[in-house]
Amino acid sequence: MTFRTKLLFISSFTVAGAVALVTGAVSVSTRRSFERIDRERREAMLDQFRRELDAQGQDVIRRVEKAAASPGVQQIAAGAAEYDRAQAEADAASLDFLDVLQPDLTIISSAHWPARFGYKNDWQIAPEDWNAADAFLTRIPQPEGSATALAAVRPAAGGKGYVAGARRLSPEFLKSLGLAPGLRALLWLAPHEVVDAKGGVRDPEKLDGLIAEVQRSGRQANGVVQWTADRSSSEAFVAFPLSRRGRLMGVLLAGASLREQIALERSILWTGVLVGGSGIAIGVLLGWWTTERITRPVERLAAGARAVAGGDWSTRVDVMSQDEIGELARAFNHMTEQLLEQRERAIQAERVAAWRELARRLAHELKNPLFPLQITVENLQRARHRPEAEFDEVFRESTSTLLAELANLNTIIGRFSDFAKMPRPQFESVDVNEIVRVVMKLHDARFRAGGRPKIEPELDLAAGELRISADGEQLRRALGNLVLNAMDAMPSGGTLRVRTARQDGGVRLEVSDTGQGLTQEECARLFTPYYTTKHHGTGLGLAIVQSVVSDHHGKISVASQPGLGAAFIIDLPGKQGDPL
Amino acid sequence: MKRTASRSIVAVSVLLAAGTLEAARRPRYGGELRIETRATPRTPDPSEAAFLSYVFETLVRLDDRGEPEPWLAASWTHEPARKRWIFTARQNVKLHNGALWAPGLISVADDQPIEKILRDLARPRNAVVVRAEDGSPVGTGPFRIARWEAEKSATLTAHDEYWGGRPYLDRAEIRMGRALPEEALDFELGKADVVEIPITDLRRFRQRGVPVFVSPPSEILALEFEGTLANDAIREAVALSIDRGAIYNVLLQKQGEISGALLPLWIGGYSFLFATERDVSRARQLASPPRTLAFAYDRQDAMMRAIGERIAVNTSEAGITMRPAAGTTADVRLERLPIISRDPWLALEELASLLKIPWPSAAGTPYDAERVLLEGFRVIPLFHLPDAWALSRRVRNWPHLADVWLDARETP
Repeated sequence: MTFRTKLLFISSFTVAGAVALVTGAVSVSTRRSFERIDRERREAMLDQFRRELDAQGQDVIRRVEKAAASPGVQQIAAGAAEYDRAQAEADAASLDFLDVLQPDLTIISSAHWPARFGYKNDWQIAPEDWNAADAFLTRIPQPEGSATALAAVRPAAGGKGYVAGARRLSPEFLKSLGLAPGLRALLWLAPHEVVDAKGGVRDPEKLDGLIAEVQRSGRQANGVVQWTADRSSSEAFVAFPLSRRGRLMGVLLAGASLREQIALERSILWTGVLVGGSGIAIGVLLGWWTTERITRPVERLAAGARAVAGGDWSTRVDVMSQDEIGELARAFNHMTEQLLEQRERAIQAERVAAWRELARRLAHELKNPLFPLQITVENLQRARHRPEAEFDEVFRESTSTLLAELANLNTIIGRFSDFAKMPRPQFESVDVNEIVRVVMKLHDARFRAGGRPKIEPELDLAAGELRISADGEQLRRALGNLVLNAMDAMPSGGTLRVRTARQDGGVRLEVSDTGQGLTQEECARLFTPYYTTKHHGTGLGLAIVQSVVSDHHGKISVASQPGLGAAFIIDLPGKQGDPL
Repeated sequence: MKRTASRSIVAVSVLLAAGTLEAARRPRYGGELRIETRATPRTPDPSEAAFLSYVFETLVRLDDRGEPEPWLAASWTHEPARKRWIFTARQNVKLHNGALWAPGLISVADDQPIEKILRDLARPRNAVVVRAEDGSPVGTGPFRIARWEAEKSATLTAHDEYWGGRPYLDRAEIRMGRALPEEALDFELGKADVVEIPITDLRRFRQRGVPVFVSPPSEILALEFEGTLANDAIREAVALSIDRGAIYNVLLQKQGEISGALLPLWIGGYSFLFATERDVSRARQLASPPRTLAFAYDRQDAMMRAIGERIAVNTSEAGITMRPAAGTTADVRLERLPIISRDPWLALEELASLLKIPWPSAAGTPYDAERVLLEGFRVIPLFHLPDAWALSRRVRNWPHLADVWLDARETP
């Protein structure tokens, strides 16, 4: 990842994070405000519920007192009426439940469950409920289960037994609460029996968790119920236990719809996303502009460094500012200037060294023939005073010597001239294997020449033809130089091995010997012109090889260790580009 | 003299008044009796409705004690050589179409004891029915069918040439398929003279001074188990958990009789030998762990509903929940089964057939048969219930239709 990209990411994330933080803070603040308002509304509803419960309780008490005073109930209590007579009395008093009881709470007649005559009343009536001023919540058993009801107990007229009457807590009761919009009251009466002001509630099992919490703790509990897959159907509930003597008679659930709150939260979220998105876009643009300004000098420096690494030491970068980046650019320019100066000095030193070497070699090469020339001329001078016949003999010998040495000098000069006049290669399709075979055949006689230790040639050629684009004549010359070099390296005989192989679309040519080998320093200087490890060499052989390989856009290397021979490896491309 | 004259006047007046009273109490001919019933016979088959026994008669009839007595057959003799019984037809019996009933030789193979043969012959399904030329059934009874509308109504008219003497009534109008509340309403409105009433309403009618007729127990109220959900222990637990006394005293208002037997005491004579006591703790042991049974009963019948609900309350104490269910899917159902004969064997056989219990052919006495039938508590007898009728004040001699007459002093 580039520095610019990093900077862009950092600036974008910073903007987005800030927007998210603000959006989150606004959302949380909004939610808390809604929750506080809802809590207050639900508390108000609970108060209203308690007041309504008191009012309904007073109504139940009046109805039970009316029933207790009725002649019908008196007849029931006296055992002078049918067992199901209580039904008519309950209807007359508009009570959902009515039991006429003996003093020991045995049911004489039950309106809602006539078959229970003779059984004990099971409304959890305690002695303090008799003549109690207030109505009380209770669970009333029924054939189909049990119902939560508001009950009251009064003595039957005539003092024989009691009348226990009750009204069911029903949707009508909840209707009377007159709730504010968005609020809803539910009554949990039994498992899967939940009603609101409109009747039964769908999916009552969704309230099970909240009800279980109330049943477990016996205290008020809060929870959110999502009725459908749509989150806006969520409703926040406060579950208020309706208990009596430790027994849960029902649960009042005050629910507040979260639709508006969720809609507002969504609105805030989308606004945040919009603002955040815009912020990110602006941040990206600003960041791009900023990073462009910051990274452009750095990129120029990087480009300069790459150019220097590529060999262009004259590269300079513009100093655009006076800050740290500008200082870095100045330091870079100073560094390249220093490098150039050092390279010039090194080139000059190398050039001087080369000239010195050339002079030394020329002196050495020219000195050898000059000394016999001098001796020969001095012999001629001295022989001038000898007899003519003797002088003639000396003259013939001396002139022959002079001619031979002059020819030697001419040869030496010709070699130097040839190196200076290396022609440009003429590329054509050549078979490297064929070139190897021709060169080895040319030198075959030398390998088998008598009077010197035998050199065993070995060919390890790739199968088929190894065609590349090359100058065949130059390649033969270079290979010949390497073969001669190897033969010179094996004065005591040995094995000369030539191997060819296909390599990365080109050809690898390897010439190795089993001679005395080279030191690391010799390896490093081996291709320097006029450098030689031999007493009779000009130091141009390997230089010519390197020149040929270079003109063919190839590469030459040497691998050697003292005593273990040497191997020269030439890698040549299969095709040639523009000629040098 | 004056005192003697006064005494004479008083004596004459008393005699005249007594004579008038006697005249009022004396049966008189004529009039139409309006009867309503829940029964819905589709055809005038003697076995489909009780009132048809006054249209079609049997060779032999069971008396009030359940003993066979000659009826259309005046006598019967045994022919051991030909292994048959010969029944002699009563003389001068005329059919409703005026023809003389002359059946010729009536013989029955003696492959069964004569008592059994006579009981079979007394069955309504063995009544004498002659087909007229138009295919309509013709009988010999005191009434003939003047009109028949299947399941709705029928008109019976007096058979003037009845061999036992013409009935008092000219006509009996019978409305069939009436629900009990409809019958009660028609009775209150004076549209019916005789209606069926639930025995739970007996006290109310009596308190109002309405004449009622209560028959000896004629049907049995019992629990019948189906399927395999309830095993022997559960069934016994149900039997032990039911408080028959409370139901009898309160719901049935002490009508009928508590019973653990299939036959009522007046027919079998041994019903008190079958246990009816409640034992909730034992029932709870047998029913452990708690069970739920699907329980069916006629919820349209107030008495059945009340008894069914009470049974459910009783069994819940033993840990058995009786969940109301439709009749087709019930594990146990509360049934009312008619006792069609005064003969214990006939009655038991018919009950076994209705309850689909294999008949214990090896049983020597009705008691033995009943012990076998009730083994495993597949059926739990609870009560024997009578039929109850409310009568208008002019109806006399109910329930024997042939003897019923209408008191002219009473308004319909």
